[in-house]
Amino acid sequence: MIRRRLNTAQLLLLLGSPIWFFSCINLQTVADYSETSVIGIQNFEQIDYSFLQHCLDRCTDEAIRKYEIKRIQDCDCSIFIEADSVTQVIYRSIEGYFEGLSKLSYNELTNYSTNGVMEALSSDELGPVKIDERTVNAFSSLSNLLLRASTDTYRRKKLELYIEQANEPIQVLIEKFGVIVGTSLKGELRFKRERLYGYYIEMKMNRTLLSDYEKGKATSDYYQALEAIQRKEKELEVFSKSINQIAQAHQVLYENRNKLSVKDISGLMIDYSSNIQDLISEFNKLND
Amino acid sequence: MANLTSDQAIRLSDNFYYLSSSMLDFRVANWEKLSDDDIKELSDIQYSLLSFGENILALSTTLIMDEVVDSLGKINTITQEIKDSIKDLKNIQKGLNVATGILILGAMIINRDPQGIGSSLKDLFELWKAPLD
Repeated sequence: MIRRRLNTAQLLLLLGSPIWFFSCINLQTVADYSETSVIGIQNFEQIDYSFLQHCLDRCTDEAIRKYEIKRIQDCDCSIFIEADSVTQVIYRSIEGYFEGLSKLSYNELTNYSTNGVMEALSSDELGPVKIDERTVNAFSSLSNLLLRASTDTYRRKKLELYIEQANEPIQVLIEKFGVIVGTSLKGELRFKRERLYGYYIEMKMNRTLLSDYEKGKATSDYYQALEAIQRKEKELEVFSKSINQIAQAHQVLYENRNKLSVKDISGLMIDYSSNIQDLISEFNKLND
Repeated sequence: MANLTSDQAIRLSDNFYYLSSSMLDFRVANWEKLSDDDIKELSDIQYSLLSFGENILALSTTLIMDEVVDSLGKINTITQEIKDSIKDLKNIQKGLNVATGILILGAMIINRDPQGIGSSLKDLFELWKAPLD
């Protein structure tokens, strides 16, 4: 009898081991993905450019062009500040979600606070900025989800549900974030390039510079400034690509959410994780 | 009124970018024929157009322009025409008039004035299509 009981226990242990083994592997896949995603998303803070910075640079460029020397720079950047506010709110929400996902996949409690996000969205702080309904709904869903994750006994077994409920809003927010950074903010730099070109071409047409040295110096200055702008454009482009990969990988997780305990999920995610890592490396090189 | 979508705002901003570049190309191509005052005026217009484009990008999803969807199509059309041919425009005064027309249109867009956009766009088309003297 004792012998039979031991055999049963051994059998259960043997049968249970692969399940435990595969579960560990696959939660590790989610943990790795979410951790890499947090790093990729937080690179946003390394981007040394914003809508406000663009506005301030524009004012300086205009002052140089007009040779205006004032005691205090007169620069109305209100709409650029609003654009930065919206971008920050979206960024914090996405970052908060992936930090939550990372902690859950490591079986830790989340402590993400949604108060700041919801207040920013519901108050008049953003002035005349109107966020479209789809984005507001995405914020709302994600915030509720994060709130529950921080208060309930939301554990590993709920990871599947967490990914399922977050997928739609996170896709909307990442798409929006990508357009803001990769198209709008990057687009501002194109105007900066044109302003730079205009300044130097006017200098040339006005025959302001007389000596060969001055002409050579001006040409060198122009191309150096142009290169710095193009580098920043590339940085924004790479960042935008990386968050796009993060969104695509999340979609794969979502579509395979019922198979989180199947080994294949790590195979599906490996290319995305590798792409995200490569883009993070490329971003870091550009940011050096 | 619904907001302008991101795509529409970006396209509109593109238009101002190209119009501004066209103004610069026109000025450079006709530099010897233009008076100092004309050069300065065109320069100011060019930089104002750049600012309009930058502002539209920053405003992005916040522009309220549902009533001017039709106007957006016309702005796209005239931008393309101006971009393609203003550099070779022989009539300086026409170039200056068109530049002023674009400036007024830009101001109406930034002010989110649908009526103003419609009328300034109509004026711009007339200026652009006006026969050469």
